[in-house]
Amino acid sequence: MKRLLFALAICTTLAIAAFGQATPKPPTTHLKVGDTAPDFTLTDTAGKPVKLSDYRGKKSVVLAFYVLAFTGG
Amino acid sequence: MDSFASNGEYAKQLGVTFPLLSDWKRQTTKEYGLYNEESGYGVRASFVIDKEGKIQHVEVGKTAIDPTGAYQVCDFLQKKKAEAPKQ
Repeated sequence: MKRLLFALAICTTLAIAAFGQATPKPPTTHLKVGDTAPDFTLTDTAGKPVKLSDYRGKKSVVLAFYVLAFTGG
Repeated sequence: MDSFASNGEYAKQLGVTFPLLSDWKRQTTKEYGLYNEESGYGVRASFVIDKEGKIQHVEVGKTAIDPTGAYQVCDFLQKKKAEAPKQ
């Protein structure tokens, strides 16, 4: 009986570990409305740098992280 | 996360008119808390950032593909600008 319980405990532990690995928590941003957007400099399609802070005082910006955009995913 | 050259090719094919940026080093994706260490990719998200650099809208996950929320906030900011007294 003890052996059976021990085996069951191991199976349960493994199942929990496997479930935990199969469903990793997806990342979510720490940023919220009202926060200052972190500045960045990224490269546009012409190879020129684009800096977020260059728009400060001039235009609002829609920033879309569109991962795997051209994959149909 | 694609190279800028690769983005450029897609932009040409699709006729994209807005700046399409490459986060090749994933640095910005990480700073915005969107990098998934497991997959090596980021998650989809949209932000609306006002002229003062403050975030006015955040949407993370699969729903971020729908621009409705971002559009509404842009509309709100536009109205706010129109109502502001001219200096």
